[in-house]
Amino acid sequence: MEKNRLLKNLKKTLAVGAIIVMAASLFTACGNKSDSSSDSSGMTGEISVVSREDGSGTRGAFIELFGIEVKKDNGDKVDKTIKSAEVTNSTAVMLQTIKGNEKAIGYVSLGSMSDSVKALKVDGETASVENVKSGDYKVSRPFNIVTGKKTNAAAKDFISYINSKEGQAIVDKEGYVSEDATDSYAKSDASGKIVVAGSSSVTPLMEKLAEAYKKVNSDVKVEVQQSDSTTGVTSTIQGVCNIGMASRELEDSEKAKGVKSQEIARDGIAVIVNRSNGLSDITSDQVKQIYTGKITDWSEIK
Amino acid sequence: MNKLSAYKGRPGSLALRIMVDLSAALTVLVLVALVGYILYKGIPNLHLDLFQWTYTTDNVSMMPAIINTLTITFCSLLVAVPFGVFSAVYLVEYAGRGNKLVKVIRLTTETLSGIPSIIYGLFGFLFFVVALGWSYSILAGIMTLAIMILPLIMRTTEEALKAVPDTYREGSFGLGAGKLRTVFKVVLPSAVPGILAGVILGVGRIVGETAALIYTAGTVTGVASSLLSSGRTLSVHMYALLSEGLYMDQAYATAVVLLIMVIIINAISSLVAKKVAGKAA
Amino acid sequence: MNNSFKEKAMQLVFLLAACASIIAVILICVFMFGNGIPAMSKIGIVNFLTGTLWEPFADVYGILPMIVGSIYVTVGAIIIGVPVGIFCAAYMARFCGPLQYKVLKPAIDLLAGIPSIVYGFFGLVVIVPIMKDIFGTSGKGILTASIMLGIMILPTIITVSESAIRAVPESYYEGSLALGATHERSVFATLIPAAKSGITAAVILGVGRAIGETLAVSMIIGNQAIMPDSILSGARTMTTNIVLEMGYATGIHRQALIATGVVLFAFILIINLLFTLIKERSARNE
Repeated sequence: MEKNRLLKNLKKTLAVGAIIVMAASLFTACGNKSDSSSDSSGMTGEISVVSREDGSGTRGAFIELFGIEVKKDNGDKVDKTIKSAEVTNSTAVMLQTIKGNEKAIGYVSLGSMSDSVKALKVDGETASVENVKSGDYKVSRPFNIVTGKKTNAAAKDFISYINSKEGQAIVDKEGYVSEDATDSYAKSDASGKIVVAGSSSVTPLMEKLAEAYKKVNSDVKVEVQQSDSTTGVTSTIQGVCNIGMASRELEDSEKAKGVKSQEIARDGIAVIVNRSNGLSDITSDQVKQIYTGKITDWSEIK
Repeated sequence: MNKLSAYKGRPGSLALRIMVDLSAALTVLVLVALVGYILYKGIPNLHLDLFQWTYTTDNVSMMPAIINTLTITFCSLLVAVPFGVFSAVYLVEYAGRGNKLVKVIRLTTETLSGIPSIIYGLFGFLFFVVALGWSYSILAGIMTLAIMILPLIMRTTEEALKAVPDTYREGSFGLGAGKLRTVFKVVLPSAVPGILAGVILGVGRIVGETAALIYTAGTVTGVASSLLSSGRTLSVHMYALLSEGLYMDQAYATAVVLLIMVIIINAISSLVAKKVAGKAA
Repeated sequence: MNNSFKEKAMQLVFLLAACASIIAVILICVFMFGNGIPAMSKIGIVNFLTGTLWEPFADVYGILPMIVGSIYVTVGAIIIGVPVGIFCAAYMARFCGPLQYKVLKPAIDLLAGIPSIVYGFFGLVVIVPIMKDIFGTSGKGILTASIMLGIMILPTIITVSESAIRAVPESYYEGSLALGATHERSVFATLIPAAKSGITAAVILGVGRAIGETLAVSMIIGNQAIMPDSILSGARTMTTNIVLEMGYATGIHRQALIATGVVLFAFILIINLLFTLIKERSARNE
């Protein structure tokens, strides 16, 4: 009997605790949570570092360009991103996290940039398409297409469209950095279905390209499969798809398997913070120190 | 007030009562918050554009995803229902009591119903996509989901068959019908509402499934042209929209459509359940 | 003659259909274990299960942080979800009028039907900022995930517990009332103890759901592959480990992820076994 009562009491306490936590969360949910901490400077507090998942093209380019990736003597690359950094595999989660946390820092493809967060200038350069193109803004990565043995006439025709003036005009229009193109697209008599698979960063651009291509050559059907860079390369090697998409350079081990890559556009990577963060400019060294855990508080950034 | 006085001198009972009421209120509150959030964010973004026949990056139409959802749901049921119903028939009508095989079947069914969808996704990928070489295709998705909902259909059908009074069977035998005839003409027809209830539960599970489909059916935006081509369902569509963050508004609108689908499925299910109850009474 | 052949043939068909679930389980086991075990032995089973470092780029694979993460969030979800669920089940079975029941029942069905990805985003947009404001952390972490999972397992707990409470013979309740106990006391001191095995089953099902949940958790737990040092710190579960990296993984990394799935699968098998044992025991008691 005594034991029973004890158990009941325990249950009760737990329930009360749970209810209070949950009720609190629900009630404050309705309230407005905009802190008015928009001092232009004097941002303090522990930095909440947000990163992408291991292997993502965005992360790969980011750690390489900021020197967060260190080459060891034997040639192996080591990713020094601090272990306590939050990891997400979704751009939407990244944007939402930065939007909701004034102490957070993260990074996102320039093409996915939204007004809900603020992009920092890196070494005094604004993250913009023009600056990436001119080379002033250094944090950018290639959008590559990968081809292997299974490049048929239809795939070749689509690639020639991507590289044409018309194709690159679409790259420009979508807010990515285009390549120099001189030739106009000339329709060939290719037909059939081609599968393009890989990087989710390249996918939105590829869909636009495929749609525009359909208008000029409806004999070729392009199917775009969104996954990620590595799957794209692997699928190309295995012959599951005709063209792979990768938002990074190929690894040597991949090249050895008989695929080659070709750059179709460039994309900047924006370093983003909450809109209420007073900071507007950051040096690439500071970014490196934040992501390797040397700087942990906003007050250390002047 | 009258009610409160009943708890005089019984603080324990009063506390319990408060706790019970609070818990119930909390559950409803959570639901209201969830649904309210989805509707608030999603309804302003519902446009006719989202329901055009073909997906383009301009309209971000969810119509192909809806069609794929229907195809995948229908085909998964086509595979799972016969297996589920037949196994239930075997368990209830044929297998003797204490049959070893029955025990094994029960155990495996329980196991299947406890496996999380990510494991189904991995398995589907390893078996259907890679080993059988179907690549990312709705067929791989269909088979994976069929295995996933099999235990649901089996269990509900079993319950339904058990609920058919033995007098029905005896009557049928008495009229000279064989066992098979009895099963198909007498037992199964009267168990139909129960089986339907299981089917609807299965539909609900399929509509809400994401993790098992990403690795099997893939994420192509168009309508799957054949069983061996890839296609995304509505839930996967929402997942894919969120992952790039370019189409947040459309993702919320998709959530509203998903919610409406769930409500419709639930409504049908409770209607069927009422029918079953009416029959039993 | 023809008829008896048909009878026999159909009986065989039914039998074969019934074996489908056995075949499915065998296939799942073969493919999961077949793909996971080689990686485990390559990494070393002990290293794999007890290693605290997960560094795919350096080919170091230890999933202890993920196992601990999974256990933490599951226990958290149970602590939060089970009491609320049982109280709510008691309300539905014994306290509410038909009108309230008409509202609650579909509400809980709806809660069960909402896709997990919707839960995840709701958690990210609503619960994470609240946790951030209350505790001054980033808002993502074990506690946040536990609350979210606590909500997600509510329908399971409520539905199964409710039918367990309803299955207790009315005489128990009446006897208690006759002894002078209040309505509440009768329900909580007589009915719920009598429904113990059903409620335990509900809890185990909840555990299974919580440990297997993937997409919702991956959005709100932070996903750091480190040993969590408090319930507020971020963590990674076995499921989120798979979903985060599966797409990129090649070679041994991919096998290590499948092996993570195998460990999760083993956990599920143990939970299922417990479930079956409890069910059998309660069946014997009846």
